[in-house]
Amino acid sequence: MIRRKILFTALSLGVSAFAVGALPLASPAMADVGEIRDLTLLARDQGANPQAFQAAQLIAQVWNQLGLKVTVRGMPRLQQSELVWYNRDKWDMTMWQMVGRPERSDPDELLFNLFHSSTTESGYNFIGYKSEEFDKLAEAQRVETDKDKRSDLIKQAQAVLARDQPNMFLVYPKRTFAFDNAIFADDSVVEQSGLGIKNIWSYLGAKPLGDQKDMILNSTDPLNAINPLYISGATDSWVTELIWDRLLRISPEGLAEPWAAESFEWLDQTTIDVVLREGMKWHDGMPVTVEDVVFSFEVPNVGDEVPMYKPFVKNIESIEIIDDRTVRFKLNNPSAAFLTSSLAKVNLVPKHIWQPVIDDLANRPENAESYQEDLPIGSGPFKFVRWKQQEEVVLARNPEHFSPPQIDRWIIRIVSNSEATISMLRSGEINFLADYNGDPEILKDVAAKDGDISIVSSTDIGFQYATVNQRRPPFDDVAMRRALSLAIDRDLMVEAAWNGSAEVANSPVSTALAFWRDDDALAISANLEEAKALLKDAGYRLIDGRLHYPEGVEETLVGP
Amino acid sequence: MLRVMNRLLHMVFVLWAVATIMFFMFRLMTGNPLAAYIDTNFTIEQQQALMAQFGLDKPLWKQYIIYMGNLLQGELGQSFFYRKPVGEVLMNAFPNTIVLTMGALVIAYLFGIPVGAYLAWKRGTWVEGVGIPTVLATRAAPEFWLGMILLAVFAFNLGWFPSGGANTAGAEFDSELARFLSLDFLWHLILPALSLSLYLQGLPLLLMRSNMLEVMQEEFVTMARMKGLSEWAIIMRHAARNALLPVVTTFALSIGLSVGGNVVVETVFSWPGLGRLLVGAVASSDFPLAQGAFLLITLVLVTMNFVADLLYHTLDPRVSHGSRN
Repeated sequence: MIRRKILFTALSLGVSAFAVGALPLASPAMADVGEIRDLTLLARDQGANPQAFQAAQLIAQVWNQLGLKVTVRGMPRLQQSELVWYNRDKWDMTMWQMVGRPERSDPDELLFNLFHSSTTESGYNFIGYKSEEFDKLAEAQRVETDKDKRSDLIKQAQAVLARDQPNMFLVYPKRTFAFDNAIFADDSVVEQSGLGIKNIWSYLGAKPLGDQKDMILNSTDPLNAINPLYISGATDSWVTELIWDRLLRISPEGLAEPWAAESFEWLDQTTIDVVLREGMKWHDGMPVTVEDVVFSFEVPNVGDEVPMYKPFVKNIESIEIIDDRTVRFKLNNPSAAFLTSSLAKVNLVPKHIWQPVIDDLANRPENAESYQEDLPIGSGPFKFVRWKQQEEVVLARNPEHFSPPQIDRWIIRIVSNSEATISMLRSGEINFLADYNGDPEILKDVAAKDGDISIVSSTDIGFQYATVNQRRPPFDDVAMRRALSLAIDRDLMVEAAWNGSAEVANSPVSTALAFWRDDDALAISANLEEAKALLKDAGYRLIDGRLHYPEGVEETLVGP
Repeated sequence: MLRVMNRLLHMVFVLWAVATIMFFMFRLMTGNPLAAYIDTNFTIEQQQALMAQFGLDKPLWKQYIIYMGNLLQGELGQSFFYRKPVGEVLMNAFPNTIVLTMGALVIAYLFGIPVGAYLAWKRGTWVEGVGIPTVLATRAAPEFWLGMILLAVFAFNLGWFPSGGANTAGAEFDSELARFLSLDFLWHLILPALSLSLYLQGLPLLLMRSNMLEVMQEEFVTMARMKGLSEWAIIMRHAARNALLPVVTTFALSIGLSVGGNVVVETVFSWPGLGRLLVGAVASSDFPLAQGAFLLITLVLVTMNFVADLLYHTLDPRVSHGSRN
C-alpha cells in the first residue's frame, strides 16, 4: 500500500507539476515579490465539452484583464477529477458541472453537499468553502418541515453564496429533446420542470397514433448496471426508475407525490405513516407487501452491502408495520427533504429475491452493487425484457400496473456516434431523441425539413460553473472571488458558447425550480470596472499589468 | 515439429510480456479509477469499500501475483465498470467484431486481388495512372471520415441503410446464430464493413500488383506466352496463382491486425464490438476490462501470425526447404 502510494504520489506530483504549474515548489520564486503566481484553469477537453471549454477561454480572457495570468488547460474527465477530487490542495481553478436528476428537484442535495463544511475533507465540497453562517442555514432548512419557511431559509443560504461567491456559477444549459409527432401524439408527451420531456411521465403518457407502438430512445453512453440497489451511470437510472416503483414520485411540477403509496401523513415532525396501494404485484406475480417496503428501506443499513443508498436512509430511526398496508417511519431528526430524498428515491425491491442475495453476499467481499439479476424483477410500469451491452435495453409494458403505459415497448439504443442520431430520428430508427449534445440549430433545420419532428428545449436543473480552490491564496479572500465573478460576462457566454441555449446562473438552484429561489436577489451582470475597483479597495496592487497581493501579504501555499 | 513448438513458446512469451506491461501501465497511469464514481453523496467509507472491492488496497506486487495466478486459470478478473467477469463482457462484443472484420476483409480481398492483378497487367497505361492514386487515396483517407461520408450519403440522404447499430431496435431472434444469419444483421453490417474494407483493400491490391509484376518476369510466363496461350489465361491461371501466395498469408495477418483496429469504425457506426468496449474501458480506468481486451487482441494477433506462418510453409514448400537447410 505504502509503496504503491509513493509511486502514485511521485508520479502524480511529476505530472501535476507539469500540468498545473501551481505546485508550491513550481511557483516561480524569482517572480516579483507579492506577484500572484501564474494560474491554470482546468477544463474538460474541447471535444468532450466544447461549450464549457469556450466558456473557460472567455473567463481566462477577462481574468487576465484584471491582471492575472490564467491559461486554460483541457484534460480528460478522469484526469481532471483525479486532480480536483484527490489532490485537493494542488490546483487553483477548474471548470465543473452538475447534471440534473429527478431527486435534485429538491435543492437540498446540491446546496448541502457542495457547500457544507462537513464535506470538505472527502465529499463534494472539494473547493474547501467554509462558512458557519451558511452551515447553519443549510442545516436549518433540512429540519424545517414548513414549506414556505424552508424556502425562506434556502433563499437566505443562496444569498450567502451569492455574496461569498465560492463558485462562479455560469449557466443553466437548456437541454434539447425531440420526438416524432407522427408516432406519438404531441400533447401526450409531458415536460417535467428542470428535466425536459425525458421523464417517466412522458413514457407513461405518450400515446401511439399508429402501428408503431414502441418508443425508441437513444443514449450516447452504455449502461453499466440495472440494479435497484446501485446508483450507477446516468442512463442506468432512466431504466431503473421504470422497472422499480418508489413510494412517492417526483411529479412534472417537481414535487414528491404519492405513487406506490396511496397516501402519507405526518403524525408529528419525526413520524410519518405511509399507506401502500392495494393489489400491487411484482413482475413475477408475487404480491407487493409491507414487509417488502420495510426490507427496501432497511437493506441499505445491513452491513456494507448497499453503500450508495445509506445516505438516504440514515435519518430513519425505525420502521414499524402498523397493519398489512401501513408502515410508520420514525426519524432521528425532522427532515423536509425526507419525502424527496428518501421516499421518492429508494426503490421498492422484492424481499423474496433480495434477502437470499444479501445473505449470500454477507460472506463475500463483493456487495450488492456487483450483483446483476438475469431477469430484474420490480413492480414498476415496465417489465424487463432484455439488455444487450452497447446495443439496447428493451422493456415491455406491464398491463397489471396501476398506471400502465400506452406504449408496448420502451427501447433504449446505445448510439455512440451522436451525429448519427438525427439521421436515425428521421429514418425512424429512433423516434425519441433523449440524448443530444449537438447544435440545436442543426436539429431545428432537420425538423423543419422533416415536418414530423417536435423539438422541446427546457432549462436544466444542472449547471455549469467555474470555481477556485479556497485552500489556496488569493482565493481564500472573498473580495478576490467577488471580483472574479463580477468580471465574467455571462450574457455574452450564453450567446457565444451556448448559442443562446442556456440561462444565466448565480446559484446552485436552477431557474427551473422557481419556488426555491429569489430571481431578483440572484441577478448578476458583468462589470469589469467594478471588479477592478473591488480588488483595489481590498488592497491588491496592479504593477506592470500584473496583479500583486496587498502590501505585506506573502503567497504561502499549503500542502505537501 | 520443433519449429512449431518454438513458435508456440514465442507466443506464450509475447502474451506474458503484454499482460505484464498492461498490468503496470494501467496502474502507474495517473488517474484513480475511483474518480469515475464521484458523486455528491460519495462518502469516504464508500471510497474505501470500492478500493477494497477492486483489489486496489493491496500492494502492487501482490496485485500482480494475484492477477497472473488468475490469468493462468483463464480468469480475467471483474470489470470495475460493469461489475461482471471480464470474460463475459468481452464475449458479448467479440463475435460482432469478428464478423465485421471478416466481412470487411472478404470484401477487401475479393476486390483487391483481381483488381491488383488487373492493374499489373495494365502497367504503364492510363488505367494504372488513375487506378493507383485512387487506391492510395482511399487507403490513406481517415476511416471516420470515410464512415461519415458513407453515412451521409447512404443512410441520411438515400435512406438505403440504417445509421448505426447491429440490429433493428427490439428485433427478436431465436439464437445468436440466427441473429448473425438474419437479413436485418446483414443490412446493418454493410456500411461499416464497406468503410472498413475501403481501408483494408489497399494492402492486398498493392501486394498482388507488385507480386504479379515480379511473377510476370519469370520464365514460366514467357514459356506460356510462347505456347500461344491467351493473355487472360496467362494472367489468371499461371501468373496469379503464383502471385497469390503471399497475399493469402497477409489475409491471416490482417485478421489479427484489424480486430484491434476497428475502434473508429465501430464508434462511427455504433457497432457493438470490442473496439468501442476498449475505448470505454480506457476512458473510465476500468483496468481489468482494458487489460482483458488488449490481451484478447494480442491473442488473436499472435495466433493469426502463427497461422500465417504455417500457411506460408504449407502453400509454398520452397520456404520450408529454405529454413530446413
